[in-house]
Amino acid sequence: MLSHHPLFKWLIGYEIERKRNLLLAPSGPLKDFLSVPFPDVHSVFHEANILAVDFETTGLDAVQDKLLSVGFVEMSQQQIKLNTCYHQIINTKQKLKANNVVIHQITDQQQQKGQPLEVVVEALLKALAGKVMLVHYARIEREFLQQACLELYGVAPSFPIIDTLAIAKRRLDKKDVAYDPSELRLGALRKRYHLPQYFAHNALNDAIATAELLLAQTCHFSNKTRLKEFLL
Amino acid sequence: MDTDLAEISAFVQTIPPFDQLPPVLLGKVVHAISICYLQQDEPLPPANCAVNPLFIIRKGALNYRDSLDELLGKYGEGDLCTVFCQTPLSSEIAVHTEEDTLLYSIDYQELELLVADYPAVLNFFIHSAEQRLNNKMSQINEDAIIASSLLNTSISQFYHSPVETIDQHCTIQDAAIKMTERKFSCLVIVNNHAQGDTSSPQPIGIVTDKDLRQRCIAKGLDFKQPVSTIMTKNMLTIKHNSSAYDALMLMTAKRIHHLPVMKKNRLHAMVTITDLMNNESQNAVNLTHIIRKAKNIDELVETSLLLPKLQIRMAKLGTTADHVGKSISAITMAFTIRLIELAEQKLGQAPVPYAWLAAGSQARQEQFAHSDQDNALIIADNMKPEDDQWFEQLARFVCDGLAKCGFIYCPGDIMATNPKWRQPQKKWHEYFSQWVETPSPKALLNSSVFFDLTTVHGDITLLEQVRERLLNKTQGNTLFLAHLSKNALMHRPPLGFFRDFVLVKNGENKKVLDLKHNGIAPIVDLARIYALSEGVSATNTIERLQQVAGSPSLTKASAANLIDAYEFLGLLRMEHQAKKLQINEQPDNYLVPKHISKLEREHLKDAFKVIKTLQDSRQSAY
Repeated sequence: MLSHHPLFKWLIGYEIERKRNLLLAPSGPLKDFLSVPFPDVHSVFHEANILAVDFETTGLDAVQDKLLSVGFVEMSQQQIKLNTCYHQIINTKQKLKANNVVIHQITDQQQQKGQPLEVVVEALLKALAGKVMLVHYARIEREFLQQACLELYGVAPSFPIIDTLAIAKRRLDKKDVAYDPSELRLGALRKRYHLPQYFAHNALNDAIATAELLLAQTCHFSNKTRLKEFLL
Repeated sequence: MDTDLAEISAFVQTIPPFDQLPPVLLGKVVHAISICYLQQDEPLPPANCAVNPLFIIRKGALNYRDSLDELLGKYGEGDLCTVFCQTPLSSEIAVHTEEDTLLYSIDYQELELLVADYPAVLNFFIHSAEQRLNNKMSQINEDAIIASSLLNTSISQFYHSPVETIDQHCTIQDAAIKMTERKFSCLVIVNNHAQGDTSSPQPIGIVTDKDLRQRCIAKGLDFKQPVSTIMTKNMLTIKHNSSAYDALMLMTAKRIHHLPVMKKNRLHAMVTITDLMNNESQNAVNLTHIIRKAKNIDELVETSLLLPKLQIRMAKLGTTADHVGKSISAITMAFTIRLIELAEQKLGQAPVPYAWLAAGSQARQEQFAHSDQDNALIIADNMKPEDDQWFEQLARFVCDGLAKCGFIYCPGDIMATNPKWRQPQKKWHEYFSQWVETPSPKALLNSSVFFDLTTVHGDITLLEQVRERLLNKTQGNTLFLAHLSKNALMHRPPLGFFRDFVLVKNGENKKVLDLKHNGIAPIVDLARIYALSEGVSATNTIERLQQVAGSPSLTKASAANLIDAYEFLGLLRMEHQAKKLQINEQPDNYLVPKHISKLEREHLKDAFKVIKTLQDSRQSAY
C-alpha cells in the first residue's frame, strides 16, 4: 500500500492522512477515533500517551485470516496502568484450525462465547484515540486493524505506531554485527533486558510484555528525545 | 470484560501479606498496579508516581541507605518497598535501584480502601518491625496450645494404669482416706460382687475431690454413707485407642478433668486433663526419673540417647524454645547430679563443702541437645591443698561421664577438670574482682561465661556469696559495663536477606544465617549486661529481660520486643535442629536462606531490627 511507504508518510504525515480519512469515514467509532488528533510527533517521547496492543490471529494474512482476540493496556508518563487493561476474545463465527489452536490456545468453545468483531474494534478504537499504538512487529496489528476497519466502516486508516521489534532491529543494525533473526522475538528481547519470563501467551499478557520491553529499551534516552524518533 | 492478568496475579499472590487476600480482591489489587522501569542507580520514587506508592520488586534490586550513606539493606525480586507508603515520608532512608529494575507500584491510599476489610494485610505495612514480631509471637504461642499436636498422639502415651478403684459399699471417708494416701484426685467406684468376678470389677461411677467438697461436706452429708451416694453415675469413658486430642476435646466439652479409659469393655486406665496439658514436660520429668535411678554410667549413656528424641518431639508438639531449653537443661542437670552421686559413692564423702557449677547455656537454662559442657567447682575456703586430689577425681569422673552421654568436652576448657576452674571460694572472689576491676578482652570473654552461673549440686551459699559481691561491684560500674558492652556488640545481626543470601553490614553476601551468633547470642549478651548493670541475679535470658524491664537500662516495651525476637529466633533454631536430628545429622545453628520462607524472612528482619535498635542505644549509652 502506497500510503504506508516511508517516503509517503514523510511527505504527508499522519495528521494530514488522519484528516483526509476523517472526511471519508462514516459516522461511528472510526469517525470518532479519527476526530481526535494524533500526538504531536515533536512532543517529548517520555510524556507520550501510548496504547500497547496485541492481537491473536488465525494466521498471517489479514485478508484471509481472522482476528481472534485483542489485548491492550495504556501507558502514560512511562507507567503501565493495569487498571486500563482490556482482553477480549472475538467470535469469528467459524471453526478454528487445530494447528493454530496450539499457538493461540483459544478453543472453539471460548471463541463462541466471544464478542462480535465490531464490538471489540470499537473498544480498541476508543482506547486508541489520541494515542500512539505500541506493538511488537507492526505488520500484523496494523494490517489486521486496517482490514477490520475496511470491512466494518469501508475505510482503512493509518495511525502512528511504535514497534519494539523495529527499535531492537535498528540497534542491532547499527552495531554492524550479524545476528540471528530469532534474537528479535519478544521473549528473546525481554530476556536480554532481564525482564521476567511470561508463560501464558494471550493478547493482554503480550501487550503488557511489549510495554515493559519498550520501557526497558527507552529508559536511557534523554528527557528531550522526541516522539518521532520512535515512530515507524 | 475478561481481563486475564493471571501471570501478574500469580506473582503477587505469593508475596506476604497479599497471600492472605481472596482471589477476587487480589484481582482488584492487581488492577491497581502501575508498572514502571528504572535504570541502575536511579532514586526512588520515580517521577509521575503516586504520592504514596507501595512498590513490589518484580525484577532487579533496590538498596536502602541512611543519611550517612550507610547501607541499610538490599531488596530483590518479590520484596516490598514500603518506605514511601506513609506521609510524611521518612527523610532518613534513601532508596536507589541497584540494577535495572522493573517495579510494580500501587497507590497506598487506594490499597487501603481496597483491603479495608483485611486489617491484617494493612497492619503488615503500617506496623513497625516490633509490632509485627509481637503479632507473630502471640500467634505462635496460640498455636502452641497443644490441641493441634495431640491429634497424632494416642492417649496411651498419657494415661495411668491401673486405675485406683474403690468398692461401692465403702464409705465416703474410706474413699477420702484412699485418695489422700494414694495422692489421687479421683477414684472409680466399682461393683466387686456383681458377677462374682473379682478380676474385672465393673465400674459404676466416679468420685472426685470436687464431689467430696460439693456433694458431701457442703451438704453436711454423713461421711459414713456409702461412697456410691455421691458418685457421678453414667460416667463418660473413652476407648483406649482414641487420640489424645479426642480425650482433650471430650473433657473440655463436658467440663470434666478425669476420663476413665476402657479396653475391651473393661476399665483399663485413667487420663486426666493435667496429663494432657503437661505432656511435654511430663516426658522431661520421666526422663529425669530414669536418670535418677540409673545405677551406672552405662545406664546413663543409654538414657542420654533419648535426649535428641525428646527435643524432636517437643519441637513437633509446638513447644516454645524456652520450654525446650529449660527441659533439656533440667535433664543435663539430672545427668550431672547422678554422675556426682556415683562419683561420691566411689570416692567417699567430700573432704569439705563444695558446689558443682554449670556455666553458659546450661546455667541460663537455654541448653539444647548435644551442647558442650561448661562447668566449674567452687570449694569451701577451709580446703587443704591435699583435698584437691579428691575434687580432681570428682571432676574427671563427672566430665568424662558427661562426655560419654553426648555432652562434648568444652573446647575452651571451661571445665572442673581444669585446675583454674576448680578453686576455693576466695579465689573465685578474686577472679571476679579482677574481671570487673581491670577488664581486658580475655577477662571479658571469661566473664561472659561465668556471669551465667548456677549451682547444680552442693552448697548453694558458696556461689550466692560470690554472686552477691559481684553484683555489688558491677552495678553502676560504667567502665566495666562499657567494656562488656563493647565486647557484646561485636556480634551484629545481619541487615536482612538479598535474594538467597544473607546480607551483612558491609554489603557482602553470606550463604548461611548463623542463628546463634547473628541473633540469639546478641540478645543473650544484651540481657546479661542489663542484668549486671541493674544487679539482677537471674541467669535465664527471658527472666533477666523480664526483671530489668522498666529499669533505667531497658524500657518495658523494649524488653517485650527483645523477648519476642529471642523467642522467634529460638523457635527457628529449635525447628531447624529438630529437622537435623531427625535425619541423624549433628544439629547446628546454620540456616540456608533458600529454606526460609518469605514470611519467616520478614519476621527475621524484624527481629534483627529490634536487636540492632537496642545494640545501637547500648552503644550510644557509653
